[in-house]
Parts: sequence; C-alpha cells; structure tokens
Amino acid sequence: MSSLFDTVLRILPHRAPTGLTAIGNPDRSSPVLLTGNYTLTVQRIKEALDGLDAWLLVADSNGINVWCASGGGHLTHHDVISAIRTSGVQDKVDHRRLILPQLCATGVERSRVEDATGWTALWGPASAEDIPAFLERGEHTARQERSVRFPLRDRLEMAAMWIGPLVPILWLVLWPITGAGASAIDAAAVMLIVLILYMLFPWLPLRVLRGIPVYAALALGGFGIGTGLLGLAGLLHGSTLFWLGAACVVGTAIASIDVAGSTPLLASSVNPSDFEVELILDRCTGTAECVLVCPREVLLMDGHARKVRMAKPGNCILCAACIVQCPTDALRFRFDDGHVVEPDVIRHTRMNLLGKRKTAAL
Amino acid sequence: MRRLESTPARYDRGIALLSGGRIGSVYERIAELAADRNVDVLDIGCGTGGVSIACAKRGATVVGIDRDAGMLEVAASKSSSIEWLELDSTEIEDRFDPECFDAIVSCLVFSEMSPQVQDYTLSIALSRLRPGGRLVIADEVEPEDAGQRVLYRLRRAPMVAATWLLTQTTTRPIRDLRKPLLDLGFGEVDSERPWPSFQIVTAIKPS
Repeated sequence: MSSLFDTVLRILPHRAPTGLTAIGNPDRSSPVLLTGNYTLTVQRIKEALDGLDAWLLVADSNGINVWCASGGGHLTHHDVISAIRTSGVQDKVDHRRLILPQLCATGVERSRVEDATGWTALWGPASAEDIPAFLERGEHTARQERSVRFPLRDRLEMAAMWIGPLVPILWLVLWPITGAGASAIDAAAVMLIVLILYMLFPWLPLRVLRGIPVYAALALGGFGIGTGLLGLAGLLHGSTLFWLGAACVVGTAIASIDVAGSTPLLASSVNPSDFEVELILDRCTGTAECVLVCPREVLLMDGHARKVRMAKPGNCILCAACIVQCPTDALRFRFDDGHVVEPDVIRHTRMNLLGKRKTAAL
Repeated sequence: MRRLESTPARYDRGIALLSGGRIGSVYERIAELAADRNVDVLDIGCGTGGVSIACAKRGATVVGIDRDAGMLEVAASKSSSIEWLELDSTEIEDRFDPECFDAIVSCLVFSEMSPQVQDYTLSIALSRLRPGGRLVIADEVEPEDAGQRVLYRLRRAPMVAATWLLTQTTTRPIRDLRKPLLDLGFGEVDSERPWPSFQIVTAIKPS
C-alpha cells in the first residue's frame, strides 16, 4: 500500500531512514552497498538482494532517487563521507570497500570519498537487479550492466507518476463544468495519452522537432478515443467536445514538460542543447573511469591505444558523469559557439544552470 | 531550507521572507554572542554568508564552510576577506586540528541534519573548540508553551505542504539541544528565544 502511494506520488520526495541496514545476516566481511534515501530505491534494492547477506548504507539524498539527486547536487561525496562516518559501518565490517551505485557518478566524486575516508570505492551496476550477478562475479560490472535500461515496468511507473496527480485533478476540475460522466471520459482520455507515451517511449521519435509531432499525434489520438466514448455514452455535444479537447491539450502539455527528466534516455530539457562532451586525447591516460560510469556506452576503451574513444557519441545524454570522474580532466563540455565548460565547474555545480555557466569564471 | 539552496541567488530574499524579516537580527545576535576582535570563528553551513559576515564585521577571523558550492559562490561575491570552503560538517576533522577555534556558530543547519549527523557534528565542534570557546547554534524549535505549540503546528502544516510541493523537502524543528550538549561535555549551556519557535543555544567548553 505504501509503495503504491509512493509510486503514484513519486513526483514528491519520499524519505527513507538514513544509516546502515542489514540485509539477510551480514557479517564482518559482507559487502557494503551505498544508496540514497528514496523509499522506492531502498525497497527495490532490498528485493534485488533477497537471499543475500549484505550491508546497505543509506545516504541522505533528500528523499530523491540516486540519478536525480546526484545530477541535482543532492547526493554528493559529502553525503557519502557523512554516511560512512556517522552510520557506524566502520565498526560493523573489517574491510573498507564500498560499492557505489553507478548512477551516482554525476554527483559523487569517487576519489574524494577515498581520500577522505580511506575506503576503496567501487562502481556497482546501473540497475539494482544486476547487483547479485555483480557480487557473484567478484564485484566487477559487465558492459551491459553499465548501460541504463528503461524497461516496461519502469516506464509504467513513470506513467503512474504523471497519472497519479494529473488525472484526479483534471477530473475534479472538469466535473462541475461538464458533469461526472463527461469529465470521467476526459480524464480517461488523458490517462490513455500518458500511458501510450510511456509504453511506446523507446520507439517514439522524440528528438525530432522537440517531440512536437509526437505530442500532437498523442493529443489527437486521445481526443479521437474520447470523442468515441462520449458518443457511446450519449454525451456528445459542442461543450463536452470542447472540454475534451482542452483536457487532451493540457494533459499532453503537462505530461510532455518533463519527459526528459522522467526518463534516463534523453538529455535534460532544462539545459541548452547546443553542446557536447569533448574528449581531449592528449590528457587521456586510459584509466577508463569514464567507461565505468557512462550509462549509455558512449565511451569505450581502445585497448591498442591505451586510451578511451568516443564509440557512440549519438547516444550521449550529457549527464557529465564521465567529466566529473575523469582523474586527468580529459573530458569537458564544448558549446557550438566555441565556449568550453571545464570539469571543475561541473564538479562544483553539477548540471544546475549549465547554460549560465558556460562563461562563468569559477 | 534546501529548496532555497537549490537557487542560491534567491536564498537571501527567500529566507528573509520566511523569517518575517527577522533573520538579519538573528545573524547579528549570533555574532554578538560568538565574535569579537581577533577571535577565530568557524561557521558551519554558512550558506550565503549572513552569519559569517556579521562575525567578520566585529573583527573576527572567520572560516565559512558549506557543502553547496552554489551557496559559497554567492557568499564569496559578498566578502573576500572570509575563507569559504566547500566542506560538510562531517568533514571538519579533515581540515582543522583540535582546539583551533574560539567560537563555532551554525544557523538553520541542524534542522537539515539527521540526528546521527547532529550528534557527530556536536562532538567534532567540542573537539575543535579551544578551552573556554563557545558554540552557538540557532534553529527552529517547537514553542515551549503548549497553546503556542498547537498554534505553531497549525500554522506550520500548510507551510510544510507548500514547501514539500515546491521544494522537494521538509525541514523539521530540532530537539532542544541543551541536554545533549551538557551530556557531551560542554560546561555552561544557555539559551534564548528571539521568538517562540526559534532558539539560540550557547554552550561553553570547560577551560
């Protein structure tokens, strides 16, 4: 019940208790995994680790999931250092190895955690479901585990996040205007639009013209189905049709506002889009730190050259994890107009107000 | 005050509004309690620098630490004579030796910490203070008077909901720190309330 509540209202933060949690019957040599204090994340990791013995160290991410909290500066190495020092984990285990979720790499500087605490920090997989295989393999990620996935279950969760508040509000607002039946159909049409948007997400050309053709088609489709339902219910007339149209336009507009932010496969729409990650080969020493944190397999190791190469630049979602982690500052952002944003600026400010920072001297 | 922090440039205006214009006098009062000429002051969670600057104006040598680089950027634009460091309260030990400050101050920061982090920070503060040094912590608390407490909770409820929607977070009033401070080993502990739901606690490290 509480997880249903959390799923439907996941647009709001949901704080799980911070600190150290035992999963199964961990002992002094059991692995220590870090996560943020978002209720659904903690729950999903516990499910993924069912049957294993491990310590889960929950850091304060302000009740926000790991990916969003790290990109927004709410989960950083400061939180990880704080969790190690204040949770009592150092008294519970003999080793000093901490497994970080790969998706915190935009905010948590691995080297800073190691320098401050003396712990060795390792990159874990991108998805909680892959943790058992990762542990089994001796704490190494396989290439496919570093690539972020967006399966149907996750897509439906995100659809529920938008449907949860949007549909009841639309229904209640339209009820006094068009009556209970017609307003329910309006709300159902909007629900359908959001559901189809997320179910078909991998196949929709959302990068074309900022997705406007797709959204227009969705709104029209919802309007068509709604019109049919109004007809079947005998409620079809000018005013109900007008309000159905309005609901479809408003519902699609709201659902489309933050599709990039609700999915892990598109670059943020908050920041400008006229920039890309630049690899400075002279500085690359082939530590492959960036390869381990890239959630889109953009960067791969070139074994012969002992350097990294941009294998799939078109996949890049500009999350900056590679820039933040590179120990030799071999990656940075370059804007189309020639401006560059250096790694230090990104490390200090994460992705916040990136456009304003392209000229900032920090 | 995390929401305000996510837009550091707006912090000063936001916090002035939320405190009903009283925050400036709180900064002054903290400085009065903690700072003096040639005194070394550490400001934990300095934010945009309100308390640090008030202390520096009294002639103190101030170090302001905050975990948010955006806030420090705003602070640095106001004063270049103060040392601003990106540091969490649990990282003080990495940077500062024991007994190197005459005063440690913190305003509206403890309400954002978990109880474990609060305890950790208090014990580090005790160790970093020189004998006779003072710790001044200012934060939101529940009113002592039962009637006022009810009013406070009623008034706070819509605020919490609005903050939650807008800000992605809540801050909670902190527990009364007087007893925890005494238990930890501070000598004299004093407190005052500029208004019923706000407390300034001063604790002195035994000489």
